[in-house]
Amino acid sequence: MKKSLVMLNVLFVLMITLPACAPAANPEPTNSPVVATVGIPPTAAPTEEMSQTPIMAADDLGAEIILAEPAQKIISISPSLTEILFSVGAGDRLIGRDSNSTYPQEAVSAVDLGGMWEGIPVEDILALEPDLILAGEIYAEEAIQELRDLGLVVYWQKNPADFEGLYGNIRDIAILTGTEDTAAELINSLTDRVSELDEKLASVEVIPVVFYELDASDPANPYTPGGGTFISFIISRAKGLNLGDRLTGEWVQVSSEELLAQNPDIILLADALYGITPEIVAERAGWSEIKAVADGEIYPFDPFILSVPGPRLVDGFERVAEIMHPEVFNK
Amino acid sequence: MDLSGLQKLCTQKCLINNMKTRPFLMISLLLGFSLLLSIALGAVTIPPGNALKILLSSLPWFEFSGDWPAYFETILLDLRLPHTILVALTGMALAGSGASFQGLFRNPLADPYLIGVASGAGLGAIIVMSIPQVGRYLIPFGAFLGGLGTIAVVYRLAKVGRMVPLTTLILAGVAIGSFASALTSFLMLISDEMILQAMNFLLGGSTVTGWEPLVIALPYFSAGLTLLVLGGHSLNVLQFGEEQAQQLGLHVERVKLFIIISASLTTAAAVSFSGVIGFVGLVVPHIIRLLWGSDYKKLIPLSVLGGGVILLLSDILARTIMAPGYLPVGIVTSLIGAPFFLWILRRAKKEVFW
Amino acid sequence: MKKNGNPPVLQIRSLSANYGDVKALKGISLDVKQGEIVGLIGPNGAGKSTLIKVLSGVLKASSGEVLINQKEVNSYSPSQRARTLAVVPQARQLGGAFTVEQAVLLGRTAYLGFLGKPAKEDLRKAAWAMEQTEVDSLADRKLAEISGGEQQRVLLARALAQDAPVLLLDEPTNHLDLRYQVHLLKLVKRLVKQERLSVLMAMHDLNQVSGTADRVVLLANGELKAVGSPEEVLTPFNILQAYQAEIETFTHPKTNKHIIFPVE
Repeated sequence: MKKSLVMLNVLFVLMITLPACAPAANPEPTNSPVVATVGIPPTAAPTEEMSQTPIMAADDLGAEIILAEPAQKIISISPSLTEILFSVGAGDRLIGRDSNSTYPQEAVSAVDLGGMWEGIPVEDILALEPDLILAGEIYAEEAIQELRDLGLVVYWQKNPADFEGLYGNIRDIAILTGTEDTAAELINSLTDRVSELDEKLASVEVIPVVFYELDASDPANPYTPGGGTFISFIISRAKGLNLGDRLTGEWVQVSSEELLAQNPDIILLADALYGITPEIVAERAGWSEIKAVADGEIYPFDPFILSVPGPRLVDGFERVAEIMHPEVFNK
Repeated sequence: MDLSGLQKLCTQKCLINNMKTRPFLMISLLLGFSLLLSIALGAVTIPPGNALKILLSSLPWFEFSGDWPAYFETILLDLRLPHTILVALTGMALAGSGASFQGLFRNPLADPYLIGVASGAGLGAIIVMSIPQVGRYLIPFGAFLGGLGTIAVVYRLAKVGRMVPLTTLILAGVAIGSFASALTSFLMLISDEMILQAMNFLLGGSTVTGWEPLVIALPYFSAGLTLLVLGGHSLNVLQFGEEQAQQLGLHVERVKLFIIISASLTTAAAVSFSGVIGFVGLVVPHIIRLLWGSDYKKLIPLSVLGGGVILLLSDILARTIMAPGYLPVGIVTSLIGAPFFLWILRRAKKEVFW
Repeated sequence: MKKNGNPPVLQIRSLSANYGDVKALKGISLDVKQGEIVGLIGPNGAGKSTLIKVLSGVLKASSGEVLINQKEVNSYSPSQRARTLAVVPQARQLGGAFTVEQAVLLGRTAYLGFLGKPAKEDLRKAAWAMEQTEVDSLADRKLAEISGGEQQRVLLARALAQDAPVLLLDEPTNHLDLRYQVHLLKLVKRLVKQERLSVLMAMHDLNQVSGTADRVVLLANGELKAVGSPEEVLTPFNILQAYQAEIETFTHPKTNKHIIFPVE
């Protein structure tokens, strides 16, 4: 009696585990073309592998993401990844997003999963049955592991440190969605624009000090990005000096006193969305003595083009360069 | 110079003697020192010699010139000076109100926020913050109206006929205060952009800088502090209980209303311009009591001066300990205030000072 | 019978007062002459403390009048009333951090004005009061640090400093050791004669009343049951009616005082 019970158990266990051991490469007998996207399809014929071979990409946590075929039902919980997804032409596959992913406009039609303040809404995500989840640097490894433990496929992406990093990120998403051609074109165009800007800026000699104001909840001690951030990288690339580079830390609070001492030439108001205008800034106690304020060099700045590490970073690069060196752009 | 004479002048015993017999002198000296220290220290190091020259030059009788960058002057005169004055006034307001409430309620645990001013002011401030497009300068007004409005409601609720029983006042204050706090938390939850701003306020950080808001705030502080000091004698009489106070000739209900209004006005002003700062109003009066007794005619003005000292020193710590960052001063007062309070409790076992 | 033919200093006419719906005082009428000590007795809840509260303005009368030196005091402001009527309460834990001198000076509140700055006269009166009650040697001691008997004398000094013609004492010997009780009552008797005060003193010890008061008033259930000399009021019948206790009386052979003792 006992023996048969054991045998039954072993059989049961084998039944469950064997399918998992089977190679995941068993293809579905669908003949859908690998590169099939609605939206901005490339005109070139697909040159990628057909659905026989699995798609693989390593994410920045070191995990191997393996998909049988390009992801069709995608959830993105970071605005940067949403933007990249749309830029490679796979935006229509987005079925769920975080509430900050509002660019481009089409992203809004995907299911809003909330602001992620109290954690990732795991149940809502499971209910949508995604085959791929895209998560950005802000999510801790534990949170990602929690999703993976539930059998979800999660791709975690670090913020890029430079343009090459950005291109690499775009390529990874392209692989996962089978949109390598669109991506290649996009990267080419981005690279061209960057080279063009670099050329124009080559002749610049004067490097202005730039104060990028992220947040002024405490108007006497606003927040600014420090060295090592992408914003700092862009400002340097655009031949400027980020004031935050002189301070320690990635997101630093700087006192009005320090600002007076550093005396930036240009102020970029990345908190313009919250109603901060150049007039308000000029009225802050003591700020009228700052060179940027005295010269009227205060510019509202769309924070998303530099704080969301997607293709619009190049727009950010352009905008910053234009503000800092208008003479090179014939404005 | 006769050094031995100087030595005798400044011996420790002499100092302690002076401390005991000349409280106002000692505290005023301490206040003066704290004011100067607060102006001298900040994120940017300014050599004291230059600082002194710049400060004196701002007075009409002096004219110093020196080799310093222009922004030294801006920092000292446009940033640090008004900030120092505001901090001093805030500390004075809180300690004065705290001492008055401790006298009024005859309760050593009373502090300026006992009957709901801080919660109401917080709610007022956060409401203003959550309305988009409203100018930042309106935050103090919202806080002020919120604070005073709350007191009015609490007083009305606690009134029984023509009298306002103190216990009912406290209970009403706690109830309304909790309600206001809950509303505040709710507003903060649903509008997460202004959480940083709100936290800044609630932990005790000023929402305004410069001379302008100080000029607006000054009349409220002056009026409030004056009224508080005037109420000292009445508070003395009240220490024997309302019944005996009445029998001694005090118009008890009128006096209670007077004290509630003065303390609420002063506290509302403090909270509106400097956020919610804890412990100063609770601890400073006790320190003064331990040193110089419980005569409210002296206790109130000494607490006022002492509050200025304590908050100035706490603010200096808050500004410099995490430079170039800025710690909300409310955190510093809480961190320091708690051990201080325990020390006071230990002393209380040995002497009668309450 | 009395030496002066002047009208009584304190005149209470049909005084009534309520605590909510409960009638605490029902039409009390009573006189106290100058230089006289009237002892107020009655069981707990009879209305002794209530009467003192109404007279001192803490509780509002529902009807009746109170005249001091022929003037209605119910319409007085608290400071006016405090100049005509002073109360010596029981020593409790209040105001312990004040020194004796500070506490006695507070007796001058009615004369001090809002800021409480004492003039020479105020300081003089306070010093005199402390002397009379023999607490001047304790002037710098905190109230909480002196004995119960000393505290009670300080409160008496405070009331004296008020310089009022009428003095009300609310069971002043409660909680005091015997020798302090004796001392206090002796003090009161002397001061009343010396300063020509009119005193109404609530007491619970019937023998002490008998030895101290010139006249005795018996209250029960808010009503005045008997008024007269100690012998006239402290009878077995009256005491049985009011206190539900059986007593016997006799006259002390040496002092001629009317003594009461309970029957076993």
